[in-house]
Amino acid sequence: MFDTPGIAEAMQSYVLETAPVLALRLDANHCVAAANAQACQMLRGGAVGRPFAEQIVDFTHSFELSALINLGSTAVHRLTLSTASGMPETLCFRFFPLPDGTLALGSIDLQEQQQLRDEVLGLNRELNDLSRLLHQANAELRELNQVNNRFIGMAAHDLRKPVGVVMTYSEFVLDEAGDRLDDEQRGFLHTSLAAAVGMKRLIDNFLDVSVIESGQLRVERSRTDMGQIVEGVLPLVRLLAARKKIELLTEVGDDDRPLLVDAAKVQQVLGNLLGNAIEHSKPGQRVWLAARRDDAELVFRVRDEGPGIAPEDQTRLFAPFARAGTRKTAGERSVGLGLAIARLVVEAHNGRLWVESVPGQGSTFFVSLPIAPGGDHP
Amino acid sequence: MNQAFGSEEVYRRYLDGLLSNNRQQCRECFEQWLAADAELGTLYENLVQRSLYEVGDLWERGRISVATEHLATAINESLLNLTYPRLFAQARIGKTAVIASTANEYHQLGAKMVADIFELHGWRGYFLGANTPLRDLLDLIREKGPDAVALSLTVYFNRDSLLQTAAAIRSEFPAVPILVGGQAFRWGGRDRVEALPEVRCLASLSDLEAWLKVERNHV
Repeated sequence: MFDTPGIAEAMQSYVLETAPVLALRLDANHCVAAANAQACQMLRGGAVGRPFAEQIVDFTHSFELSALINLGSTAVHRLTLSTASGMPETLCFRFFPLPDGTLALGSIDLQEQQQLRDEVLGLNRELNDLSRLLHQANAELRELNQVNNRFIGMAAHDLRKPVGVVMTYSEFVLDEAGDRLDDEQRGFLHTSLAAAVGMKRLIDNFLDVSVIESGQLRVERSRTDMGQIVEGVLPLVRLLAARKKIELLTEVGDDDRPLLVDAAKVQQVLGNLLGNAIEHSKPGQRVWLAARRDDAELVFRVRDEGPGIAPEDQTRLFAPFARAGTRKTAGERSVGLGLAIARLVVEAHNGRLWVESVPGQGSTFFVSLPIAPGGDHP
Repeated sequence: MNQAFGSEEVYRRYLDGLLSNNRQQCRECFEQWLAADAELGTLYENLVQRSLYEVGDLWERGRISVATEHLATAINESLLNLTYPRLFAQARIGKTAVIASTANEYHQLGAKMVADIFELHGWRGYFLGANTPLRDLLDLIREKGPDAVALSLTVYFNRDSLLQTAAAIRSEFPAVPILVGGQAFRWGGRDRVEALPEVRCLASLSDLEAWLKVERNHV
């Protein structure tokens, strides 16, 4: 079959020059005496003149070439070589005894390579499929979120009017016929009115969230100054502070340089922060609103003497529906949207909102609105 | 040299990258095409599909190894991810399609591109990967109630499997349009498939786009 003249020469030539097989002739001391073309390419210089053992990656220092040679030429040994590319390569070796040494023939396990390639390609396909599913799911979630926002927006909008009617008529009855009612009846009406006011605030929050989440929040800047912003926000919270016997103090610099901001929205943020500060304070405690500006930023500070906020609560404080572990002192209700809205409004001004607080020592909320260099608006 | 998007030069560089396993070069060409804000359908057909067909031809003629062909497919498939932020942001038209490669068909990129073209036209394209068992395919059709089912065939010798799949779908879902296509039909073989009722063979992605435009007018 293969004993025809010329075959041995052809095979020898193929193995020495072309075949993806390592052929190394080792001398009696197991040093590489000659190497074929593939070995010269894979091992730097074919490792000629150096011990074969030097080419082996042997973490356990247990490699013993003589022991492998003694197992005979039919035994296959899986050995990892350190290659010229710097990458280790595992080959299957057989050792054939020669009169003056050993012939080492090594080849890559093609079946293993094929399996590896198939696995890598399969994993790549799976990864791409998962990536596609993820993009698709993201798109679907975005759509659902938009639908949800539209629904909340419509529901909140439609609820505002009847709640307004309840508030108006409760106030009307109290004003016009209050003196004809007994204390219990007036109490019922006051409770109804307070509940309606709370509901309206909640509905307003939902509307705000709906508008912000749908990307329709518009910042409408107009010319104002620091003092005007503070003066505008105080009436919103004075009554609340007075009811709880909280002293409301302001520290506002006399800088009246003009600012171009959406004063109503900034006042909404400050009103929310002040409202929270008052609601978390006990009668007799104080709440401060401070404001300062320089060329780079406008900073408002709302400080209270309340129970403070634990560090683990501070990180999630500005997420929607997140409520800190502290309780409001008069049992005021909240759904945890106020700070989330405040943060989004501040971010719409390219600003920052953050809190510094130590439990037991009160909290300070900061609103920083950047002022463009040489400009008058955040 | 003109390096404008869509140019022959960019395509040749892309193909060269595929054949030399140069993923980075391919990515640069792909991104150049995307950055030019080209129609995604054009990119799919003129860059991805064209290169896949050419790589397939080179393999069939023994000019490249199967390993290179596989890697070229893998590079193409991974680069499709770059289109997804745009692709899935298309406005929906309330229609869905289920797209699959049939049993024994291990090439899935064609089917995935078809699913993407559906997405591009506002459909929700649910894609089942390579070698989809018939039972899984029928389950998904029952679950999604799609407005169309598309089957992709790359290797011509798998056409019997495709025919069986199409017949099974037609038997259980008499009304749903079935679209078939893929590289396997480049040299014919449409007649037997189209003999089934309401089964259409679409020769290319642009034929699919034309079909989708007609369908859109039926909304």
